[in-house]
Amino acid sequence: MKRELLVFLYIFGFLFTLGANGFAQERGTSEAVVNELKQEIQKLRDQMEAERRVYDKRLQKMQEKIDAVSRQILEKPAADAEEDLESEIAKSQTEIPSSSLEGAWSGVGRSLQSLNPELSVIIDTYYQNSHFSGASDGEMSDIYENMAGFGHSHGDDHGHEHGGLDEGFNLRHLELYFAGEVDPYFKAYAIAAISEHDAEIEEAVIQTTCLPAGFQLQAGKFFSHFGRINQQHSHEWDFVDQPLIYQLTLGDHGLNEKGVQLSWLAPTPFHLLTGVEVFQGENELLFNYIGGDELPDKDGPRLWVGWLKFSPNLTRKHGFQAGLFGGRGIDQEAHDGNHDGTNDHWLDGHGIFIGADFVYKYDQNYAYGLGDFTLQGEYFRRKKDLDLYNTDPSLGGPPTALIGQDRIDKQDGYYIQAVYGLFPRLRAGLRWEQVGLTNESEFPNGTDESYDNSYRVAGMLDFSPTEFSRIRIQADKGDYLLNSGDQGVWQIFVQLMVSLGTHGAHKF
Amino acid sequence: MKKIKSRGLKPLWAALFSMVLIVSAWNVTEAGKSDILTTTTDLASIARAVAGEHATVNSICSGKEDPHFLQAKPSYIVMAREADLWIRVGMELEIGWETPILDGARNRTIRVGSKGHLDASERVRRLGVPTTRISRAMGDVHPQGNPHYWLGPLNGRIVAKSIAGRLEHLFPENAGEFRENLKAFQKALDEHMFGKALVEKLGGAKLWTLELKKELDPFLKSLQMESQLGGWKARMGPFQGEKIITYHQSWDYFANRFNLDVADELEPKPGIPPSPGHVLEVLRKVKEQNISVLLMEPYYSLKAPELIASKTGILVVVSANTVGGQPVAKDYFSMIGNIVDKLATAFETARKNKGK
Repeated sequence: MKRELLVFLYIFGFLFTLGANGFAQERGTSEAVVNELKQEIQKLRDQMEAERRVYDKRLQKMQEKIDAVSRQILEKPAADAEEDLESEIAKSQTEIPSSSLEGAWSGVGRSLQSLNPELSVIIDTYYQNSHFSGASDGEMSDIYENMAGFGHSHGDDHGHEHGGLDEGFNLRHLELYFAGEVDPYFKAYAIAAISEHDAEIEEAVIQTTCLPAGFQLQAGKFFSHFGRINQQHSHEWDFVDQPLIYQLTLGDHGLNEKGVQLSWLAPTPFHLLTGVEVFQGENELLFNYIGGDELPDKDGPRLWVGWLKFSPNLTRKHGFQAGLFGGRGIDQEAHDGNHDGTNDHWLDGHGIFIGADFVYKYDQNYAYGLGDFTLQGEYFRRKKDLDLYNTDPSLGGPPTALIGQDRIDKQDGYYIQAVYGLFPRLRAGLRWEQVGLTNESEFPNGTDESYDNSYRVAGMLDFSPTEFSRIRIQADKGDYLLNSGDQGVWQIFVQLMVSLGTHGAHKF
Repeated sequence: MKKIKSRGLKPLWAALFSMVLIVSAWNVTEAGKSDILTTTTDLASIARAVAGEHATVNSICSGKEDPHFLQAKPSYIVMAREADLWIRVGMELEIGWETPILDGARNRTIRVGSKGHLDASERVRRLGVPTTRISRAMGDVHPQGNPHYWLGPLNGRIVAKSIAGRLEHLFPENAGEFRENLKAFQKALDEHMFGKALVEKLGGAKLWTLELKKELDPFLKSLQMESQLGGWKARMGPFQGEKIITYHQSWDYFANRFNLDVADELEPKPGIPPSPGHVLEVLRKVKEQNISVLLMEPYYSLKAPELIASKTGILVVVSANTVGGQPVAKDYFSMIGNIVDKLATAFETARKNKGK
């Protein structure tokens, strides 16, 4: 054990002396290295300093350059920079067609960018089929002509058809629409309705655009602006057929007359529009004119119409308008009392109507009409106040002693309809209507009669792939009181309407 | 048998006449201020900035509705009745409702073609002007180009200048102020776009000129000023070249300005709602091209976008593109800012999700 310890100590001592010698040697050489390194570092420092000076110079130069550019930009007047931008915009605007609208207003007398009138074509075609309850079958025109209390004169032409509804396919018409500004004082539009066999001017209107204080004058042939349905073209209706009360009292074309209208937009904080119309008076159902041998001649104008429309300012999503209207004009009728095909007595007097209308529209602000809702209704009441003017008892007319006696007809009716945007582009509608709530007739021989009312309900679904096309299906169920008794009728419609060209926007 | 004369109508006429008398005496215009009416809220916001205190500015649209489809309500006619200046977006955006309002208002000063009628699209940079024969079979294509130009901030600047020019012409007595207001508006717009620092150093017009030439980035690099770029441009910078899907073809100007690539629209053709077939096609495209953001207006249905999101994880960004369309879009700047913010955030989120 002791021997082992001694050996260890010896080895340790040996190693210690060896190590101490080596360390002394090592120390001598490393001092030289450090000095060398110091010199190296100094050299590098000098080099770096030199380079830094060079870089500093370069940086300074660069900064000067930047400052120069900035100064150049800044010293350049802002207006010049704006001009540069303008010319750059012009340069980049290769997409703009050369016919820029710029300065369109500066030329005197130039009112529109385009000198061509707006031109559009509407094709309105539908399929209709009616089914009469009970044994008898017939056509809707039979119904319209034989409604109790709503009979009318045939004047001279017996051949015309009412309702214009054929069983099967119908082409209502092709509507040609032209519109444009005439000059800075007038605008004009014309609508020609071309049917299979003939063409007629539905509207041809010249309107002032220059009258002050909210006045406007229009002249030509046009739909009277009373109520809502009357001034709309059939393609604007929410249902294929027009409301029964208008079909029965004003006929297929509504009150569509030659004349003049003066209207005034009041400077009220809400919308108040009122108008007076003077017409020739040629509506064959309510303002008929015959003249000639049997009836007195009356020069036109023979018909006056007045209306008022009021609309409060509601919040953005809601729109409402209510109206009142009335009209009075000459009415003459020729009647065939014994139905032998020859007129045998003649009536002369006045036709009068009054009524009210309203519409409420809700705009859901969703795309493609989803959730939009419209509720609309009109009440219309007419009175025919006629005297027996002439009679030919030899042909079956009433005795001459009754000449001068009254023939009075009082009838009314209303409709109310709702349309709702069920899905994008798809609308559903319901219409309820009643006619003859008042339904009284007084005859020249002193008798009078009052009839019951009739009603009709309609449901429709329409789909508008775009704003230029519409497909509609509709079903009507009516219970009509005819001179011969009650008649129930089911009708179905399938309608397709398209519009080509730039068709003007529709009114509220 | 009684004879009834037409008494019924006389009280009606009397009522009409007296009403006419009453309202004639009624004048509702605010004295001393001109009345500017714009079709959209974006134009109203710009017009308000330019006209300053010299005009009351109102807008027909509220910003919440689709400006393509609006009912020409009678209350709009009342607004237009007294207006001194009517400003429209133009390019047929308002074709469905402008005429009934202008006709109904019987206001000579704002009819199309008169000095009080300004088409704000007159000088703007247009996109999507058809170069070939167009047909309605293509959907709701506007022959004069895509009308959503206000979503390009440079066009906002151009529109402001057009409005100022027309105001100077109409009301020369305030010309100086309109010019000052225009400058202030342009400066504010430039600062929103490029950041305050750059606009101060280089001026907005120079920046826009460079931006138009697509030389802004190299220019800033050469001056080592990239880091000073701020505003919308800087916020959208990292996302240049990103592909997006939009609902309607209404974001082209925005995408063009910030170099985004609209890969497809959900509407198969402009104005026609998404069909199942087209939605599938978009879905396929989203998957194939790894598109991360779908951008749409608040008034469109979320059904199709959510379907695509559930299948692909695409982020649906609902952003108003008209002032007033969302509460944050208070004026023109915050409207554009809102889009920039929402989009940038969505892109960031998408990148983070992909990184995981």
